Amino acid sequence: MTTADPTAGVARRPVVSGRRLTDAVSHAYIWTILVLFILPFVALLGFSLTSRPGGSGPVANYRYVVDTFGDNLLWSLKISGLTLLINVLVSLPAGYAIVRHTFPGKRTLFSALTLPLYVPGAVIGISLVLTYNFTYHLTTSMWGLVLAMALGTFPLMLTPIVVALKDLPVIFEEAAACLGATRWQTYRRIVLPLIGPGLSAGLLLCFIIVFNEYLVTLFVHPPGLTTAPLRVFNQIRTAGLDPATAALAVTMQLISLAAVLLFFRLFGTRHLKGTYLL
Amino acid sequence: MSTVRLASLTKHYGATVAVHEFDLDVADGEFVTLLGPSGCGKTTTLRMIAGLVDPTGGRVWFDDQDVTFLPPRARNIGFVFQTPALFPHLSVASNVGFGLSVKGSKKPAIAERVETMLAMVGLTGYGARMPAQLSGGQQQRVALARVLATDPRVLLFDEPLSALDRNLRDSLKYAIRDLQRRTAKTAIYVTHDQSEAFAISDRIVVMNAGRVEQIGSQTDIYLRPRTGFVAEFIGANNALPGTVSGLEAGIPATDDAPGEHRFVVTIGELAVHCRSSQPVAVGDAVVAYLRPEDLVVLDDDAADYPNVVVGEIERVIFEGPTAQLRVRVAGRELRVDVGGSRRLSLSEGRGRVRLGFDAPTVIPADMAAPPPSPDEVAA
Repeated sequence: MTTADPTAGVARRPVVSGRRLTDAVSHAYIWTILVLFILPFVALLGFSLTSRPGGSGPVANYRYVVDTFGDNLLWSLKISGLTLLINVLVSLPAGYAIVRHTFPGKRTLFSALTLPLYVPGAVIGISLVLTYNFTYHLTTSMWGLVLAMALGTFPLMLTPIVVALKDLPVIFEEAAACLGATRWQTYRRIVLPLIGPGLSAGLLLCFIIVFNEYLVTLFVHPPGLTTAPLRVFNQIRTAGLDPATAALAVTMQLISLAAVLLFFRLFGTRHLKGTYLL
Repeated sequence: MSTVRLASLTKHYGATVAVHEFDLDVADGEFVTLLGPSGCGKTTTLRMIAGLVDPTGGRVWFDDQDVTFLPPRARNIGFVFQTPALFPHLSVASNVGFGLSVKGSKKPAIAERVETMLAMVGLTGYGARMPAQLSGGQQQRVALARVLATDPRVLLFDEPLSALDRNLRDSLKYAIRDLQRRTAKTAIYVTHDQSEAFAISDRIVVMNAGRVEQIGSQTDIYLRPRTGFVAEFIGANNALPGTVSGLEAGIPATDDAPGEHRFVVTIGELAVHCRSSQPVAVGDAVVAYLRPEDLVVLDDDAADYPNVVVGEIERVIFEGPTAQLRVRVAGRELRVDVGGSRRLSLSEGRGRVRLGFDAPTVIPADMAAPPPSPDEVAA
């Protein structure tokens, strides 16, 4: 090695480096996918801004939404809110029992509880129609619809709560108990805030599903109660595509989007990062 | 603040016995350490004292109150965990004030107490920070402040330093001892680290396999191990099985010191002068425990020791502060730790050495541990 060429073994810089090429390709890929996904919504938005026969442009379309779809949106929000409430009230204690306590048949129970996730909406709908008609006579009440929604979506609430609780070391609860906190104080002041991200993820998922649910609603909605998605569908079936209907669809889309943005805004998990196992 | 008494405390997990009939009396203000290898039941015992684990049998008393089946919150204890377990969503001040807050104290009173506690652990001005913004040592100090804030009857420590690095461990263990003295609280401390146990305890309970092996002061446990397990778990030891071959004049017991029996034990072809706090009879099978640091390499003419043996140096391991010799004496390999300047002169060569030692302690063979494998001796 006495006559080594000092430049030997030094890699030459290629004209287009491999890394930059990979970067460019992956960026292009991401943007293509993004555009493909967003395109239908952009089309919908565009259509909702065109003039409808007898109307006069975008403003009129959205005023029409507020005037005539207001009730439907309110029903959707009300049903969603009540469903979330029931889901939270059921899932928090259930999740806590499943994670923190042992009892025979626990795994089976958890599997059974998540069953509604795999059952098609039409099947849930038919079974509920049967049950409501022949057993409980709930078909004429808003609560029938709320219960149907809760039945179909509470696994979406339960699962993130179970995951969050499993990730939460029991030591925090033990520390609280040793400091004199009752079970309820421990639950409210320690457990709930620490599973907040899981809980809110469940809330978000349930809200979006319930707010936009069409199929199950079709089966079990009581007469006179028309939710927004049901109205959109009815409208398209009877009147065909109409800019005002598109405007309603866009409004629903915006509400869902607002929910997602609100979630990221409120429940950033930043302050919890890396602190569980210090 | 309170005495602690454990009476036949027992915990079974299915067929596994985690803790077997544990008896212990802890005096008011005493610092007692449960010392033992992992899985010996020391943490389970501590958790039963805290109420985090329900015992299978036995009783826990705080003063005259039977707390065996009280939930942790009703026991008024301070439990410091292996990890600080600070509530990550609460500020340092809210963490320290948590115990008072759940008991319904008024906000100004809590704030004042929090300030006092943070000052006590040397973290004045850290109240507004979040736990994640503190170092591991600071977090454990906050955990200490948090348990002291509620003025508990008993402090319980479950290896609170094991997650910290060594320098921090050393400074924090004296801080814990100091805080315990200043607040005059009864403390029970669990560790597997004997230097930690020796540094901070009033009394040490050596545990193994769910049972108490020995309860005593540092010198009791080091100089007068009652079982082979204690002799080999505390420090290093050369275990030499032999037979008692003759009795000698002992030292009678006085008020200040336990008496000592002296006798000769035949170990292979050696006759070694030994001692024990328990009486022995000729013909008893015993194991003499000879600590590596008690063996002294002698100059050729010096003979100030009751026992002098000659051996061949097989190996010299220079470890810095000491050198470890492996010396073959009468067919057995003995570990000898050499300090001072002699460790430097020995590190070069091999050859014959004369070793002197005081009468080693013996343990009846049926109390001795099974002979350790060569690997364990080396460790």
